[in-house]
Amino acid sequence: MGSHGIPRVGATFDKSEQARDKEWKQIAQYQALEKDVVGRVNAKDYSDATFQLTSQLLTQNPEYYTIWNYRRLILQDVFARELAAADHPSEQGAAAADKAGLPPAQHEILLLIKEDLQFLIPLLKQYPKCYWIWNHRSWLLGAATKHLLARGAVELWQGELGLVSKMLGLDSRNFHGWGYRREVVQAIERLSGGGDEGKGSGGLVEPEFAYTTKMIQSNLSNFSAWHYRSQLMPALLSSRNADTAARQAFLDAEFELITKALYTDPYDQSLWFYHQYLMATLNPSNAQAPPILDPCGAAEHLQYLDQEIESVREMLDGAEDCKYIYQALLEYSGRYLELAPEGEGKVTVTELKEWLRELRKIDPLRDGRWRDLEGKMKL
Amino acid sequence: MSLAAGPGRGHVAEGQLPEELKLVVDKHVAYIQSLDTRRDELEYHLTEHLRIGGIYWGLTALHLLGQPDALPRDGLLEYVLSCLHDDGGFGAAPGHDAHILYTGYSVQILTMIDGFKALEEKTPGGKQKVATFIANLQQYDGRFAGDQWGETDTRFLFSAFYTLSLLGYMPHQRPSEPPIIDVPAATAYIKACHNFDGGFGVAPGAESHSGQVFTCVGALSVAGELDSYLGEEGKDRLGAWLSERQLGSGGLNGRPEKLVDVCYSWWVGSSLAMIDRLHWLDKAKLTAFILQCQDPEQGGIADRPEDMVDVFHTVFGIAGLSLVGYPGIGEVDPAYCMPKHITARIQRP
Repeated sequence: MGSHGIPRVGATFDKSEQARDKEWKQIAQYQALEKDVVGRVNAKDYSDATFQLTSQLLTQNPEYYTIWNYRRLILQDVFARELAAADHPSEQGAAAADKAGLPPAQHEILLLIKEDLQFLIPLLKQYPKCYWIWNHRSWLLGAATKHLLARGAVELWQGELGLVSKMLGLDSRNFHGWGYRREVVQAIERLSGGGDEGKGSGGLVEPEFAYTTKMIQSNLSNFSAWHYRSQLMPALLSSRNADTAARQAFLDAEFELITKALYTDPYDQSLWFYHQYLMATLNPSNAQAPPILDPCGAAEHLQYLDQEIESVREMLDGAEDCKYIYQALLEYSGRYLELAPEGEGKVTVTELKEWLRELRKIDPLRDGRWRDLEGKMKL
Repeated sequence: MSLAAGPGRGHVAEGQLPEELKLVVDKHVAYIQSLDTRRDELEYHLTEHLRIGGIYWGLTALHLLGQPDALPRDGLLEYVLSCLHDDGGFGAAPGHDAHILYTGYSVQILTMIDGFKALEEKTPGGKQKVATFIANLQQYDGRFAGDQWGETDTRFLFSAFYTLSLLGYMPHQRPSEPPIIDVPAATAYIKACHNFDGGFGVAPGAESHSGQVFTCVGALSVAGELDSYLGEEGKDRLGAWLSERQLGSGGLNGRPEKLVDVCYSWWVGSSLAMIDRLHWLDKAKLTAFILQCQDPEQGGIADRPEDMVDVFHTVFGIAGLSLVGYPGIGEVDPAYCMPKHITARIQRP
């Protein structure tokens, strides 16, 4: 939607006659350009001139998805012509292509794709949430993968990693950016003959994990980075051939990292979701969080519940008004008591009731949820 | 129908207390009726690619406001049918390429204006053609592409499901015929988008996002797999994540640590309604937030107070109010975002 977060600027009424005239002229120009492009594509005029006109129109209106489709029709046509002409290369083209180490047709296709990727960059920066621009970029890379040798395609995809880092530098929560990053990484690993996830020569799991560390260090509140970090873990541990001890050391280091972060800002829900994730890897009933530890049974689960209930309880000191602490205590204690009903010494029902009472006081917005929790935990 | 923002902005009339706020029904009706008269604005033309969506949003809002006939039916019918392509897909406006999203909106409009007979008259076998267009977009792994260019997204999968069910072409609605789509493969894909926090992302591995939660929960609901897949534990986990979207202002955000926005009243609220956890939100505060985003003089609802209104936020604000039982608004179906009395005719699994 074009109108998210648009404050009231340049309201559309009370315009001067001059402003109205100007707007009518803009409308007429836009419509003439649109008519020209549509007319040419309908007449199958896939010339360079038509292509340039689509650039003009898309620069004015990148949400006009049909024009992106037209642009791809033209590119497909050019690619097909280049490939058909490959048997009769011009001397000049052949020389340039030879220098680039590619057959002439592939060389031409590569140039066209590179040029179009370049065209998209200012648009992406101006409209970072426009699905169609990201979509077209992904199509171009797909076309490169199809038409070029793996080596040439991999180089292009690697360039994308730099671009997407730049985009995420501008908006570290842009979910188009994070989605594109996953796509780029998968493509590089696949094209580099990676075989096992993260293990191949193009294995990116270590640098990607380091990237999430960097993003988190620059802004703790970036849940997108924490989430991506969680997604990388299974491949990371398998690429490291992590044994029982290494896995436990890894999990402990992650707990240390998040606990430090929580001490910095216990009011940030991004951090609590990551803590919840680490705890979920120990909980066999959460199929969406694969285990980090190996073995990972009830004993390990109980040990970490015990440890983290203690750790979170200490966070209350000075943050008694922080609802997330009570929520975590209630959730983890509930699980603890399920696994060790005789362990009531560690967590008492009186304490649970007290935490719930505090939570209801601090967080009346979700009172319906806390009432349900009260019933569920039989408090 | 114009998707141009404005002309007004969301605000509270001078001297009014939040508890005195009321939905200005007549103003919103007039606002929606006026949208197609704004051809002298450049933005009207720049947003042509959202025209069919705009009609669906405006018409749904009018239905919920109890004025389903406030836009002339003949004009709507003619316009929607003029967006139909030979392959059975609809474009966003006449001459625009076919896409699954606009096919979905078109079928929702045709359902609300009782237009399937007219569709069949214009294109014999029309309903089946539309269903075939959708079925052909399913990929080998269960996902759905948006169009022939292949972009996939859980939004498209949901669109495929609800559109086919409105047309009566979901496999459970035609038990004696071979299924035209692979429902188990599609729901398996949805499940692959499920995250540890209970939410769903746009693709496997992607962060949970309220908009995507709505499409995934909606798809499972239309397929009749929501209760069996999530169970009480899954619903509790998802409900917890969704309920944390409500901030002190009463408004809802789409992801942790993001700004509130009226449209999430719908994406979050409807998802909570589908998993029977709507009471995990503060309904009074949400109502007050939505009402502060309306323009009490010229109608329309904005994403946040002080921003410009538009028809997209207008319908999702009104639908949000319907969910929380605001007096005088018709009941909305949380999966279809259409009036419940209309979706009641759909044969569910």
